[in-house]
Amino acid sequence: MPVPILLIVPVLLLVAGLLHFVPQLTRPDLFFAVTVAPEFRRSKEGRQILQRYRLFVWGSTMLAIAMAVAAGLPLAAVLIPGAGYLWGFVSSHQRALAYAAEPNPIVEVELRAPREGFPGGPIVALLPVVALGALGAWAASHMDRLPDRLVVHWGLNGADGWVNTTPTTLFGLLAVYAATCLLLVGVAWGLLHGSRRISTSGPAAAGERQFRRRVVLMLIATEYLMVCPAAFGLLMPAAPGMTIWSVALALVIVGFAVSLFRSGQGGARAMALAGGAPTGDRTPDACWKWGMFYVNPADPSILVEKRFGIGYTVNLGNRWSWVALVVVLVPAALGVIFLR
Amino acid sequence: MKLRIDLNSTIPVYRQIVDGLRILLVNGELNAGDQLPPVRRLALDLGVHFNTVAEAYRTLAEEGWLDIERRNGARVITRALPSPADPETEGAFQRRLRELVAEVQSRGFARDRIAHELRQLAENLERS
Repeated sequence: MPVPILLIVPVLLLVAGLLHFVPQLTRPDLFFAVTVAPEFRRSKEGRQILQRYRLFVWGSTMLAIAMAVAAGLPLAAVLIPGAGYLWGFVSSHQRALAYAAEPNPIVEVELRAPREGFPGGPIVALLPVVALGALGAWAASHMDRLPDRLVVHWGLNGADGWVNTTPTTLFGLLAVYAATCLLLVGVAWGLLHGSRRISTSGPAAAGERQFRRRVVLMLIATEYLMVCPAAFGLLMPAAPGMTIWSVALALVIVGFAVSLFRSGQGGARAMALAGGAPTGDRTPDACWKWGMFYVNPADPSILVEKRFGIGYTVNLGNRWSWVALVVVLVPAALGVIFLR
Repeated sequence: MKLRIDLNSTIPVYRQIVDGLRILLVNGELNAGDQLPPVRRLALDLGVHFNTVAEAYRTLAEEGWLDIERRNGARVITRALPSPADPETEGAFQRRLRELVAEVQSRGFARDRIAHELRQLAENLERS
């Protein structure tokens, strides 16, 4: 049996396992991206919707494994579960809409809530970009000392993609790294200064603050662990240290992911459930298209909490979100295309 | 110290922010030198447009309560006590109070409950 197909099976099982538990990570009064009473998920109807969704997840996974292993169709291992997961979620969302609850219209904001910023200050977040600039300046005056080829891709067995060293490829690569760093810093800034705090006082606010801080730390750690080895490998492609950096990056991401999963969406597990109308995430249900895309021009937030899964998503109704996406993603995409 | 708004209320959000902050200012919960959150932060947390909060801050600045700072939001300042109210203001106050009492009465609030609230308010005013 070809190795890629053997690799597909554990990956599919891992993804299915994660999706199995994702509905339990959301805020207690959100169920398949619909605001519901907190106790709804434990009701008979709630359990039925959840069971049906899990049937889709595991059914499509098993079908995909069978197609890939028995019929040797690796493409089926991507398309079938993709369609199955999507259909399972969207149909569960539609069913949950029938049980939607009116969210609490009262919004209370603590006027003395602490201000949040980058851990260590913005300079810590921007240092990798400065380092890339310095590396570019050094490389510009030492072109003759650079290797003949620059590494642009690493696989499990080390470097496996190169381009010839020219000023264009060198600075193109550095620009791609810098754009990626700026994207990560931009997302972190958006979380701190462009997203709504659902709670601003009490244990709920503390949990939420800790959750946001962890996400920001993860973004900054990714920036450092991505740029350092990239710059290191750019100049010394034969160095064996690359694998160590890759493993470190993977461990950091997995570590943060586990800690976020444990805290629940927005630190929701730290919150004491209040009685009365559900709070949800203070975004209107009607603005969530298929429960996945948030489009609300009246909301000043650039980033909002995802309603399914963990983390944040972009408010597609905010023009600044589009400006940010274009400014950061287009140059990065152009750089990648150009270097190919 | 919390600012509270009701998104389902018929009272515009801008008005609710002004009224809510003014209560805190009058009661002495917000004092000269206290910093209010920047417009952007408060708007994000309330889920309303930046202009709504900016307009509310401007109104309170015109009343002499706030000094609006470009970067840091607004700061509470010492306010010179205005001259005694003119008959027009007194008339408007009485009218608004009666309107409010009539409104909550029509929503089912018992008379003695309203009277109790008003008495408590009067006692607080006399004490302050």
